[in-house]
Amino acid sequence: MANSLPMRSGFAQLRRAPLVLFVAVYTVVTGGPLLWVAMMSLRTTAEIFKNPYGFPAPAHWEKFVDAWTKSNYATYFWNSTIVVLIAVALVTAVGAMVAHCLARYSFRGNRLVRFAILTGLVLPPQLVILALFQILLDLNLYNTLTGLILVYVATHIAMTVYVLEGFFAQIPQDLFDAARMDGYSDFEIFWRVTVPIGAPAIFTTVTLNFIVLWNEFLFAVVLLTDDNKRTLPLGIMHFTGSHQLDVGMAATGLMIAMLPVIVVYAFFSDTMIKGMTAGAVR
Amino acid sequence: MAIVTVDGLCKRYAGAPAPAVHDVTFTVADREFMVLLGPSGCGKSTVLRMIAGLEPITAGTVSIDGKVVNQVPAKARDIAMVFQSYALYPHMTVYDNLAFGLRRRAIGKAEVARRVQAAAVKLELTELLQRKPHALSGGQRQRVAVGRAIVRDPKVFLFDEPLSNLDAALRVSTRNELIRQQREIGTTSIYVTHDQVEAMTMGDRICIMNQGKVVQIGRPLEVYRSPADTFVSRFLGNPPMNLLPGRLEQRNDGIVAHLAGGTFALPMRAASVLARYAGGEVIVGVRPEDLYEALPARDPGQSAPHFARLPVRVSGVEPLGAETLLMVSLDGSDAEMIARIGRDTTLRRGDRVELALDTAAVHLFDPATTRAIA
Repeated sequence: MANSLPMRSGFAQLRRAPLVLFVAVYTVVTGGPLLWVAMMSLRTTAEIFKNPYGFPAPAHWEKFVDAWTKSNYATYFWNSTIVVLIAVALVTAVGAMVAHCLARYSFRGNRLVRFAILTGLVLPPQLVILALFQILLDLNLYNTLTGLILVYVATHIAMTVYVLEGFFAQIPQDLFDAARMDGYSDFEIFWRVTVPIGAPAIFTTVTLNFIVLWNEFLFAVVLLTDDNKRTLPLGIMHFTGSHQLDVGMAATGLMIAMLPVIVVYAFFSDTMIKGMTAGAVR
Repeated sequence: MAIVTVDGLCKRYAGAPAPAVHDVTFTVADREFMVLLGPSGCGKSTVLRMIAGLEPITAGTVSIDGKVVNQVPAKARDIAMVFQSYALYPHMTVYDNLAFGLRRRAIGKAEVARRVQAAAVKLELTELLQRKPHALSGGQRQRVAVGRAIVRDPKVFLFDEPLSNLDAALRVSTRNELIRQQREIGTTSIYVTHDQVEAMTMGDRICIMNQGKVVQIGRPLEVYRSPADTFVSRFLGNPPMNLLPGRLEQRNDGIVAHLAGGTFALPMRAASVLARYAGGEVIVGVRPEDLYEALPARDPGQSAPHFARLPVRVSGVEPLGAETLLMVSLDGSDAEMIARIGRDTTLRRGDRVELALDTAAVHLFDPATTRAIA
């Protein structure tokens, strides 16, 4: 009995080998490019062209300052922050209320609304971009941050409602009935029961929407033209335009753009995973 | 002080072929504990939810103290409800759960604290006030749910199967505790359950429902002793009443009943009512405890009880410790019966024996309507 134990754990390790191998390969595939860009962000374009895979020696930390001060990066960063924060706040607030209604109330047209929203999930963004362009022109919102915010809210409401409704529907009806008997109005029930109990799911959608919108490129490139209205992904493209190719500065810009995403993910990944896997109550 | 009257209550869900609740009428007196009893899906919870104001009423009225409340929203009816799932808010502490309903009612902070503390003392929750529901046992959660109703000091308590999530031992003690609390507070209560033991032990009166309709209303023993139809006779009592096909016959000395196993006179019955069924089929109902292995000993001077002897074959014996259940088949028929007899029996499967039947306790039902006869 005693000497069978080490053998068993040896077997167990052997059985885990493919998993470890997979994780290792996955880490190299995803982490490799990240590391490469990180190294390039500290090297000049000339250095990179000489040896694309070289180490940053010496490390040009001043490139971050240059990117921020000399090439309008502060503006792009500020635009991105404004657009993404407002869009995420709006899409979360509206999405949570819609999800609460769909999950809680059976009203005429409930299924139709649900169908319409879920259709939004499967439509490719390229399909609507011309229509959006025309609509924003008509509303005098073309080439404005407000226009982009509205487009972001509209295009991300479907996923938000989809995730939240699935979660809210699991909250037992008795909790809502109890709150109703306790004298709370429909909105108070949403605010005091659904939102706190659904917080893990709400955090999940906030995190996902933040990451996706922070990196959004297609709508931004079509709907914004002024340089001082550009968001970060457009700003980075600036370095790789048709007239110049500043790979080094593009890499520095990428690192600046990535930072908030990494911070958000680091803070909320636990809550997010909990929200995606856990049930509503218990 | 509150009298709850339900009059002709109906509920029909869109697209459903039959109404979920049909013409339900009853009155719950002030301070009374009324139990709505019935199998799952019989509409008893729907009735409760309509009284609570959580379910729109298709037809009929719900009145509290003579005032129709059909159009009064749930929050304004001054009713508190204990849910089957307890419905505790998982993100709030026990204290906040208890205070949640009070905070909405413009009650001062100090008064909220006083009421919560009083309820916590009464229900032995003082130590648990800062815990969240997930850190409580089933019994503790149940007590918090009751506490949430008590702190409101409402006119009416509604209970929707509040004990069904507890294990058997806890259910018995909680049952007694609930009765004690209700007697002490004296609030008019309506209690929904499918458990006949809860109904028999807790209710001042029982309202038995089946397929959306009220079948019988009465005091627990009254309903047990005089079931209105075969459904009630089988639903109350464990094991349920034995129902056997039989026939009535008019003889010179009165009405007799023919059963597969034998013929016996029916004492203490209104002959005029039975005469209508003379020569016709009836359903004979016998409670398992009205069958005896041997004739029970009589006190001297007691009037002679009426016993008939039924020859049976024992098809199964279930010793339960305090008593023994005997599965028997009547001679000359496939009809099966269960008899509840003493624990000291020596009978075994396959034995032939004559059981004594207390004919004064026999129930008769109309086979067409299944209603009780006389």
